[in-house]
Amino acid sequence: MNLGYVSQDLAIDDELTGLDNLWLQAGLYHMDRSIRKKRIDEVLELVGLRERAADRVDTYSGGMRKRLDIACGLIHRPGILFLDEPTLGLDIQTRHEIWHYVNRLREEVKMTILLTTHYMDEADTLCRRAAIIDRGELKAIDTPARLKQNIGGGVVVFKFTDDADPHLVEKALEVLREKEFVKEISSNSDDYILLTNDNEEALPKFFAVLERFPLRLQKVTLKMPSLDDVFLYHTGEQLREGSVSKEQIARSRTSMHRLRGQR
Amino acid sequence: MDLNYGLRGTYYVFWREMKRFSSQRLRIMMSVVQPVVWLVLMGNMMTRLTDNPFTAEMLGVDNYLAFMVPGVMIMTSLFSGVYGGISIIWDRRLGFLIKLLSAPIPRYSIALGKMSALVIQTMIQVSIIALLGSIMGVLFITGPGGIIVALLFCGLFSAIMSSISLFLSASVKTPETLFAIINFLTMPLVFTSNALFPTGAMPSWIQLISRFNPITYAVAPVRALVTGGWEFDVIVSGAAILLLMLLFLQGVVYYRFEKGSLL
Repeated sequence: MNLGYVSQDLAIDDELTGLDNLWLQAGLYHMDRSIRKKRIDEVLELVGLRERAADRVDTYSGGMRKRLDIACGLIHRPGILFLDEPTLGLDIQTRHEIWHYVNRLREEVKMTILLTTHYMDEADTLCRRAAIIDRGELKAIDTPARLKQNIGGGVVVFKFTDDADPHLVEKALEVLREKEFVKEISSNSDDYILLTNDNEEALPKFFAVLERFPLRLQKVTLKMPSLDDVFLYHTGEQLREGSVSKEQIARSRTSMHRLRGQR
Repeated sequence: MDLNYGLRGTYYVFWREMKRFSSQRLRIMMSVVQPVVWLVLMGNMMTRLTDNPFTAEMLGVDNYLAFMVPGVMIMTSLFSGVYGGISIIWDRRLGFLIKLLSAPIPRYSIALGKMSALVIQTMIQVSIIALLGSIMGVLFITGPGGIIVALLFCGLFSAIMSSISLFLSASVKTPETLFAIINFLTMPLVFTSNALFPTGAMPSWIQLISRFNPITYAVAPVRALVTGGWEFDVIVSGAAILLLMLLFLQGVVYYRFEKGSLL
């Protein structure tokens, strides 16, 4: 199987041009000279760097550097692309920029991408299947939606208007409690907290029940579990203390500087 | 992995180093300026030395500058070689070494490519020094053929020095440590050699050391080519000793790069 690997550190040469970096990559992967030019054009187009290809990398922004880095990993058309924490330490705009190109790869090239990340929202938006690994042990693997469902559903917090008839409220709650999608209803002063085991359809079902009562809601919010909750559920909440070498720290610091577009 | 892969890997590592070299005009300039300062300062400081018939006899020439040009050529080869391995340390820190290690090329080709680039760079620098020397009146007694052989000696010597440097940088993680080790090694090496002063002027115990000093075997043939003539015994024995040394060191480098960890 043909593998592509884009490391967490920026593995590109800042003193060469973008084009030279790709040419070098193609050479190191023993690509035929005849197809090299065409392939370089393809990946440049894919990561949107065609206009800047002839410029030296130390004039690039952080996002452009990362995109060039990804382009290098793509040039030999791997069947599987490993992206190791592609947005580590990037600002929001640049992260969205990288996400855009990762999605584009998946949709246009139909490439399998194996992405590691510490950002749960990133896993949630980018991945079809997400796995949670804790100290080398696979804790869970499924679609993000199902992972969230499996640790229990969302929470509906609602409150009736002050003029609501307490009698009617009691009745409504009773009907709700009997519904299949409701796990439990508790109250917190005037707020009611409804635990559901059905994420997507909980709210419509909830409204369908209340429609039958002459009650008005003052507020209602639905809080869905995030992948953060899933992660903590599977890995526990205690702090992790890993050991890293001095050299690794120096390297990631250098990498961070370059990702922020500095020299 | 077959030979073809190794050769291509070596070529592309070499290609990258040369690209970087050609984009660093200041570095090329400074690498020539320093030896020129040596020549102009030391060469002129010592001109009166040859007024004394005894020293003139020890130097073997009646012009100290002619004695010094070969010494400075070899010193330049020494320094450009021995500091060359630092690129491994920078590559490691920038994350580029990971790219080279994960590419389908033998690891040894990383060392070989870098060494070849250093050899070519040295020969460029040294030929500029030879040119400047001839402007200052130091002409090769053996003519253009002698210049070519002298350049080959400089290349060979810088190959030896870069082997040592690459071997050290495979383990040393910071430039500061590398510099400290190199300074510790080179200073005594230079001052116990015939590069700047004739060994005849040294006490006998230093003469003994200088007989085991690789610099001596590089300087003697080049000096013969500049001031002596085609002294084949000096040239052949120098070449044989240096080649054996290179072969041994490359064996060590091969073992270090292929079997040990570089990160």
